Amino acid sequence: MGRFWRLVGAAVLALFSLFVLAQEEDDPVKEAEKQKKQLLEQSGGILPSDLYVEQGEQLFKAKRGPKQASLEACDFGRGPGKLEGVVGRLPRYFFDTRRVEDLDSRIRTCMIRLQGFQPQEIKRSEVVAIAFYLASLSHEQPVTVRPLMPQEKKLYELGERLFYLRAGPRDMGCATCHVTYVGKRAGVLPYSDILKDKRAASHWPAFRYSNDQAWTMADRIRACYSNLSMPAPDFYSEPIIALTLFMNVQANGARMDLPGFIR
Amino acid sequence: MKTRYFVGLLAMLLVGLTLSQQGPFQQRVQQAINSGGSKFAETMKQDRDQALCSQYRDKLPPEEVGAFLERQRALIKYPADGKLMGDWKQGEALFTNPRKGNCYACHTGDPKEAGAGRMGPGLVGYGQRGTSEAVVKYTYDKIYNAWASMPCSLMYRAGHHGILTPEETAHVTAFLLDPASPVNAKR
Repeated sequence: MGRFWRLVGAAVLALFSLFVLAQEEDDPVKEAEKQKKQLLEQSGGILPSDLYVEQGEQLFKAKRGPKQASLEACDFGRGPGKLEGVVGRLPRYFFDTRRVEDLDSRIRTCMIRLQGFQPQEIKRSEVVAIAFYLASLSHEQPVTVRPLMPQEKKLYELGERLFYLRAGPRDMGCATCHVTYVGKRAGVLPYSDILKDKRAASHWPAFRYSNDQAWTMADRIRACYSNLSMPAPDFYSEPIIALTLFMNVQANGARMDLPGFIR
Repeated sequence: MKTRYFVGLLAMLLVGLTLSQQGPFQQRVQQAINSGGSKFAETMKQDRDQALCSQYRDKLPPEEVGAFLERQRALIKYPADGKLMGDWKQGEALFTNPRKGNCYACHTGDPKEAGAGRMGPGLVGYGQRGTSEAVVKYTYDKIYNAWASMPCSLMYRAGHHGILTPEETAHVTAFLLDPASPVNAKR
């Protein structure tokens, strides 16, 4: 009898540890931490995102464009040149453009207004690098995006509408996976819980170790649409800013992990 | 008496305001979608039932369900030869291809496929239901137009959107039901 119960005990333990192992494998946050550690060991302490930050800082401080100006006077919402924590406070309404702008579109605005670039001259890779530099100055700062201005409230409503809008050949929208079927997974990837998990929106811009790419939230949104076989909205367009606003509000209060390091 | 008129007038004004609000917001949504580019605007155009599912966030009110299912059932088309069960081998390729069925994103099928998702019910051993006419038709209809049996389900209407032709739908049906298919391999 004693032997029987010992066997049962061992079996239960084995099952339990299997369960725990399976769980760990499924947790994308733990997996990302593991990958980050490995990458740091291999490279002697430098992450690919550090290189983007470095490149972004150079672009930010260099005198460039027809006006030969740096971006140091750019106002990201806390006043000209005040850069700390700004990523967690966007999107927001700006009086100078009379638009709600997110990180990407604000960088673009300053490249146009301060440096004199034409919109079609602006390189996406430069905007991303500058976004990474600004992100590095917002690390561990809180997300504080509260729609207070009427323009922000309107755009939030709009973002919510787009988030729940199902269309296209796969009859889907953002909420189909990120709300209705949250907790399930497609292929090997679990879906982030945009409404309840504040980590979901608080780690952008991020480096993706699975495909070696630097992404801002705009790239993430566009990839989501592509995954649904839908042509993505243009960079810097209103649907992207509205969706970003909606998602960042859900992450309100989260401490930002920047630049993010994700699958 | 005068106050009553006043209250009534105010109520009418409020009703008028809320009714007129709906239009401008919808216009604003459309304007924003258009600003995303012409291809994006095109893909964001909804049919009536996509709009209903969005409006009610996938939970249709009971009074909408009957008509919804009827409209969706009417969209199902069948192969010209009337055969709803095709070749399971072709079905397997269509089931697997991310640009066609992309079924493994959400369902298990062949138990050997490691990367199968869990969004939908597992389909290993689906063929144990047999191949009666009713089972074959139910399976075919589900693959061709999932909304004809489950309003606003995540599963997209592969046949309706032309991702699978009626003949291809019959092949996928066979992949699930044919006793020789790996989905139904004895274990």
